[in-house]
Amino acid sequence: MSENSAVVVDNVSKKFKLYRERNQTLKSAVMRGRKTVAEEFWAVRDVSFDVPEGQTFGLIGRNGSGKSTLLKTLARIYHPDAGSITLRGKAASLLEVGSGFHPELSGRENVYLNASILGLKRREVDERFDDIVEFSGVEKFIDQPVKNYSSGMYVRLGFSVAVHTNPDILVVDEVLAVGDGAFREKSRQKFLEFTRDGKTVILVSHSLPQIREMCDQVAWLNKGTLREVGDADTVTEHYEKALVDEKD
Amino acid sequence: MTYLKELFATRELLYNLTMREVKGQYRRTVLGQLWSLLNPIATMLVYTVVFSFIFRARPNIGDPSGLDIYPLWLMCGLLPWLYFSRVVNGGLNSMVTNSGLIKKVYFPRMHLPFSVMASVGFTWLIEMGVLLLALQLFGGWPIWWIPIVMLVMVTLAFFAVGVAMMLAITNVHFRDTQHFTTIVLQMWMYLTPIIYPISLVENAARDLGDWVIVVYRLNPMERFVEVFRNLMYDNRWPALDDTLFIVAVSGVVFALGYLVFSRNEKRLAELL
Repeated sequence: MSENSAVVVDNVSKKFKLYRERNQTLKSAVMRGRKTVAEEFWAVRDVSFDVPEGQTFGLIGRNGSGKSTLLKTLARIYHPDAGSITLRGKAASLLEVGSGFHPELSGRENVYLNASILGLKRREVDERFDDIVEFSGVEKFIDQPVKNYSSGMYVRLGFSVAVHTNPDILVVDEVLAVGDGAFREKSRQKFLEFTRDGKTVILVSHSLPQIREMCDQVAWLNKGTLREVGDADTVTEHYEKALVDEKD
Repeated sequence: MTYLKELFATRELLYNLTMREVKGQYRRTVLGQLWSLLNPIATMLVYTVVFSFIFRARPNIGDPSGLDIYPLWLMCGLLPWLYFSRVVNGGLNSMVTNSGLIKKVYFPRMHLPFSVMASVGFTWLIEMGVLLLALQLFGGWPIWWIPIVMLVMVTLAFFAVGVAMMLAITNVHFRDTQHFTTIVLQMWMYLTPIIYPISLVENAARDLGDWVIVVYRLNPMERFVEVFRNLMYDNRWPALDDTLFIVAVSGVVFALGYLVFSRNEKRLAELL
């Protein structure tokens, strides 16, 4: 655990309870009586790694390997059942664009609302408002209610707010695939700018070329445990090989 | 303590969530915020016809204000009750209605019931303002009591959000809570002397024994209604025991709600 780690993941485990029939009613709780029919399922088990400051770190693995659970734990949405996560600096997570948008409110009002959900102060939004709107490309419609937006405009505005939160550590789910080709290129540039500025980014993606292009290091998760962590090219190569082996 | 600090540090979020509710509620309506007044006025008319004209409920004349107007007397109790029941209902549902947000972003979840408390409080403030104006026009003198009324309103807000926070957590585990609460609130309202004066209960209790009235007055909302009426309708200081009762109950209920909520909020995202 070096001193310049931005994120330290130390033996993190997260379990979920699986109920054979989960009807959330009092009746079923009473009927079950003392024996609760819950199986434990460890979505993430004993995962440890460090993310050095300023690096882009990718999480890969097949569906159900625990990537998203780990990402949500990093974003503080879940709390680990064992182990700990240390984040040095201001962290923001981007698991969904446009969180908390109210359809009846205007784009402008939603920018302020969404930004404050993501942890920005009003003054900070005031400063960045023009950049946010310009980046999203919805200038003409900023005072219209967002329910009249096309789905593309909606996600572009949400994405634009999120990338302007300017955190030290950014946790991103597969949201890069937003908008049309031109906007996607703009987002990619923004992320590269991010890493150039020495920010730490942790992202989940299924696109291995994208991972190779953007990430310095990669962690490969398999069924909740850490299979391999290291240099992006090496780990993705091993991962690809394992996928091919499995098919044969 | 750290949680409290975090809540305070993110107070702007509370403001924004509150404004989302306040602004979003009456968008695309012609009457806008007026709707929040029409609703209690309609309720007032119905109760006045039924309970004043048909059942002949006769509350005491305001002392020393001298007011003897059933609809105004009714509203002094009904508006606080409506606030309480809206905060409890809205607050307990706030986890489920905002589950999308809870599952995708981290923020202190307690802002959700708080924002219900504040946004419903905004409407309540307007309603109470109109009521105070009406009381003044019809010959009462509630103006001097406004600061005390505000303090009691804050006390009720803490009581209501305390109840709401406990129920919000219960509701995440058992969705029965929301349906059950609807029934309980309905019964609770009729067990509180809002539409009828407490003197009717005292009369009835005479045959049954004093314990009836003692039990009846354990209801914190009965005390709240009494205090609001003392201040607004009668224009006098409320009884000391009533005041202490509501302050103590609100303090305890809020502290309990805070504890229950802060202990359970870490697991909300996975339970929803």
